[in-house]
Amino acid sequence: MILAIDTTAGSSAAVVSEGVVLGFSGFDDPYGHAENVGQAIGLALERAGITGEQIQRVAISRGPASYTGLRVGMAAGVAFATARQIPLHGVISLDAVAGFYAETIKDQRWLVTSDAKRGEMFVGLYEGIDQTGLPIRENDLQVMKPLEVEDYYQGITRIEHLCDAKAVGIFAEKSIAQGIELTDVSALYLRSPDVSPSAGKRVSG
Amino acid sequence: MIDIRFVSPADFEALVELEKEVFSDQAWSKSAMLADLEAVHTQYLVAFDDAQLVGYAGLSSPAGSFQADINTIAVSQSHRRQGLAKKLLEQMVDLATRSGAEQMFLDVRADNESAISLYKKFGFEQIDTRKGYYKPEGVDAYVMRKEIHQPLVLGIETSCDETGVGIVRGNRLLSNALNSSMEIHARFGGVVPEVAARAHLEALQPTIDTALDEAGIEIKDIDAIAVTNGPGLAGALMVGIGAAKGLAQAFDKPIYAVNHLVGHVGADILERGSLQTPSIALLVSGGHTSLLLVRDLLDDVVLLGETIDDAAGEAFDKVARVLGLPYPGGPEIDKAAIGGDAESIRFPRGLSLPKDMAEHKYDFSFSGLKTAVARYVEKAEDNGEEINVHDVAASFREAVVDVLVTKALKACEEHDVPRLILGGGVTANARLRQLATQKCSQAGIELRIPRFALCTDNGAMIASLGAQLVMAGREPSGNSFGAESTMDVSKVQSL
Repeated sequence: MILAIDTTAGSSAAVVSEGVVLGFSGFDDPYGHAENVGQAIGLALERAGITGEQIQRVAISRGPASYTGLRVGMAAGVAFATARQIPLHGVISLDAVAGFYAETIKDQRWLVTSDAKRGEMFVGLYEGIDQTGLPIRENDLQVMKPLEVEDYYQGITRIEHLCDAKAVGIFAEKSIAQGIELTDVSALYLRSPDVSPSAGKRVSG
Repeated sequence: MIDIRFVSPADFEALVELEKEVFSDQAWSKSAMLADLEAVHTQYLVAFDDAQLVGYAGLSSPAGSFQADINTIAVSQSHRRQGLAKKLLEQMVDLATRSGAEQMFLDVRADNESAISLYKKFGFEQIDTRKGYYKPEGVDAYVMRKEIHQPLVLGIETSCDETGVGIVRGNRLLSNALNSSMEIHARFGGVVPEVAARAHLEALQPTIDTALDEAGIEIKDIDAIAVTNGPGLAGALMVGIGAAKGLAQAFDKPIYAVNHLVGHVGADILERGSLQTPSIALLVSGGHTSLLLVRDLLDDVVLLGETIDDAAGEAFDKVARVLGLPYPGGPEIDKAAIGGDAESIRFPRGLSLPKDMAEHKYDFSFSGLKTAVARYVEKAEDNGEEINVHDVAASFREAVVDVLVTKALKACEEHDVPRLILGGGVTANARLRQLATQKCSQAGIELRIPRFALCTDNGAMIASLGAQLVMAGREPSGNSFGAESTMDVSKVQSL
């Protein structure tokens, strides 16, 4: 049984087992991650009718997403897995969305995008699904301006669904079943911290 | 209606009389009684029926011993068999628990069956016999002991650039694991919030593991989790809060969301086993410069003043930069000040002039001081003169430390508080320690500086404050608290 946690948009948690979501709880508030993450996990466990000790693995959403919120869910997942001494898996949120909605896509290629703030988007380009149902991503994720996306990927179907813990949990379970352990659990920021060393300035004229 | 409260000097006479009535020729002498009543390590409760003293009980619990002794429980002949001894005993156990005692002891006459049976109900067990202890009849005394479960609390601190996870059992420090991102901030000359928050997330798992290893405990045995939820950098705080909530859900544990600054004051509990109040606390770091009046750690912490611009530690960092010294500035300025003349340059003492004192008696300002140092250095450069870095460093440091210590001592004096606690990273400053020690000793004020690992930001102090809340029977914080980056110091816990 996998506990999945996602705070890339709202805050959500899901208990997933054998492709089925046994319990889910989600809060839409895009700023209330610290407030909501504990309740989301608690409710997901409760709705699945289990306690924390029955969880065998934790899957966290690595983003890309707004940094501050993203880290809250990741921290909760890291702490949960550390406490229970169970494996922790990292899922790229755009991959999770691509997998979750793959069946609804008729085209061979499609884009998954999400808001990257500062007038930019996180972009993943996918080309079909493999026999296990996992989406095949063509290249590394990108940060692009909306106009660039339209220009560059003209005519390609675009999915803008927000990620949530259901998509993360199902993606993680499928991957692990294929022996892909998703061991990278670092946050996917795709940008360096917005700071550079300054040279110092005079105070007197 | 029986009213039970702490003894006050006005009750002493009546208490000595009741001692005589209850224990007749076995009674303590008046002088022994008074000495015990006034001792620092004792707590006496008195029970009144209207104006009549009808019972009392005394507990001895020296700080740091983690043990408590019931010295006496006495009930007037007129008020026996009404459950008063039980009530007093209940409160003794409560006081012992709150004082951090892990074991509680008492002596009882072997022939006092009703008392023995009461003690047994409260979990006391006979562990020894003192033969012929009670004279003149030579009745044996039973020594009885009760084990007290002190709460095992794990504390998480991520308000700035230190990822701290500490574990305490009641007032006892078990571990204090720390990972700092200070080195990454060095190239920026100060803490960069986004850099700090990223580092917290990466440091979480190793820091939690180290804290558990060092304490030699398993996380399932923990009674509660405590976490800093303010004041501090919002993005950094949220990493700790996320972690606390994840841990709590993993084992269904309660969370106490606590105030970082009050945590600094609580650090002293881990040093000497209890916190003496009232106390003035001066907290000085790269993020804070606050002067607090602490009458009660959980219920009565008042902010007397704080910096209105830069924190003192920040001023050290900025001036170090002006002098071409690396980050963090505190230790570098300390080094550079060696051999310098602190009187050579008279830099301004922020908010110390009479006109400022009206509105900002206990506030601090270091921004103008930093600018004054920069101007001094620039002027010298413009004139092609060499500055004496040692003199500038020593004079600047003196200006900071002078204001800090002067205002802290003024607060002690004005509020009639005989002790001062220092906390925060700037307590590492050699001159601050020296001047505070000297001025406190002159003024007859007890100076408390916890060991450095408990002075800088750390998880153990947060665990300690959480443990105090558990020991006082406070409700946990629930599951929906968030980060409060400007949390007021009067708010010890977020509910």
